[in-house]
Amino acid sequence: MMRWLVGAALVAHLAAAPAAPACDLPGGSAQKLQSGAHTVLFRTAPLKVGEHFAVDFAVCPPPESVRVDAWMPEHRHGMNYRPEVRALGGGRYRAEGLMLHMGGNWELVFEVRSGGKTERLTHRMQLE
Amino acid sequence: MRRALLVALFAAVPAAFAFNDAEIRAIASHGPWPPAFRPDPSNRVSGNRDAIDLGERLFFERRLSAGGAVSCSRCHVPERNWTDGEVRARGLALVDRNAPSVANVRLGHWFGWDGAHDSLWSQAIRPILDPREMGASASQVARFVRVDADYTCRYRKAFGAPPSPSDEAVLVDVAKALAAFQETLASGRTPFDEYRDALVKGDAKGIARYPETAKRGLAIFIGRGSCNVCHIGPAFTNGEFHDTGVPFFIEPGRVDPGRYEGIRKLLASRFNLLGPYNDDATRGTATGTRHVALEHRNFGEFKTPSLRNLALTAPYMHNGRLATLRAVVDHYSTLSPDRLHSDGEAILKPLRLSEAESRDLVAFLASLSDGGSAYRRKAFAADCR
Repeated sequence: MMRWLVGAALVAHLAAAPAAPACDLPGGSAQKLQSGAHTVLFRTAPLKVGEHFAVDFAVCPPPESVRVDAWMPEHRHGMNYRPEVRALGGGRYRAEGLMLHMGGNWELVFEVRSGGKTERLTHRMQLE
Repeated sequence: MRRALLVALFAAVPAAFAFNDAEIRAIASHGPWPPAFRPDPSNRVSGNRDAIDLGERLFFERRLSAGGAVSCSRCHVPERNWTDGEVRARGLALVDRNAPSVANVRLGHWFGWDGAHDSLWSQAIRPILDPREMGASASQVARFVRVDADYTCRYRKAFGAPPSPSDEAVLVDVAKALAAFQETLASGRTPFDEYRDALVKGDAKGIARYPETAKRGLAIFIGRGSCNVCHIGPAFTNGEFHDTGVPFFIEPGRVDPGRYEGIRKLLASRFNLLGPYNDDATRGTATGTRHVALEHRNFGEFKTPSLRNLALTAPYMHNGRLATLRAVVDHYSTLSPDRLHSDGEAILKPLRLSEAESRDLVAFLASLSDGGSAYRRKAFAADCR
């Protein structure tokens, strides 16, 4: 009986606790990256070689800071441009000024910093 | 007997070259040609007929130079497909780099071998002021436009107002008219364009007309050569910068820093697209300038040139050190990874082409050229009303 009461109290406590906010990126479908501590949802316009583009993204839970970059592993170089990330509030961001200047394999990299630790979340893509 | 003869004949003829679907998509991405005209929002007279006329006259006008000695056409010769055929260009003095053609120049987003300019009009200012090229000054240019009645009249027609009291503003407007004219310089259709369109339409006769040797060269270009990693799109360039192992010593003890210095000059220039002379109020045209990154690897990088009309614009590379298309192919065929600069493109490997493959690649590159510039010089009359 006592054990049942404790169990019921625990369920009540869980029911009363605020639910963790869902990680979402309003405005359409988004791609998802997951690390130990963070989820990144992101969206770009269709990418074309040699055209500037922006990345809209959300990071959950909101980090202390976040950087966005892109890298060609086979070529061992990144972009010729340095993107700027603007915080839009609520863990949402917009990175502007990216350009993938060659065809081939690229990695879109989100460097997320929280609690003194930095995580890299990487999305691989191939540009024709 | 007849059948045996036919079999023997077919065995002697190499099979016609055929591309798979992915290769056809890659080939199709190099067209269509010519691309539609899109005005430059940073230049309020881009596409303006009166500005094009003014710019054409200014392009051949020696009075824009110190002592009236040279014009833009000194190094950008229409009959030489808008280059000069020299190893290094010579204006009032010898300069450090090869004169690039200005055909199709409007399709770029950086201008000059080092991309020190982010608009065609800001690029046009540099040779006017460079002591080794035209050696003029803003005040000389402004005085000329204000004093010559015919030019004053044409300036008013193009810009809707008389020349500004500011010498610098007049210099910028002269450069914008020069840009409006250069935007009209386009190379024509080529054997490659006919083939590319036939391939897209599935036109067997059109496909058959393109030489087999050029098809084999094209297969190298989009295949093991990976040339289309940088030479992309209808203009065959990504408009960006790479170190391809071309030496950057100008002479013993003097180096050409290429893109590294180009970015520094760009960001220091008051004529860049972040500055007061950009006619695009949204500054959407300035995205590249706002975000361009200066890195050590930019040292010795030079702009990927367009391959259109390549056969008509020798010699090659930023310093004109390669005299023929075959020499360019040999450069990529034999380049030594040990000689590549430490920050050079990591994917560059010697292609090790056979003699026949080298000939095929040259045949393909030659097929990117039209029959030569269709431009005809005009006799300009001073008859502006």
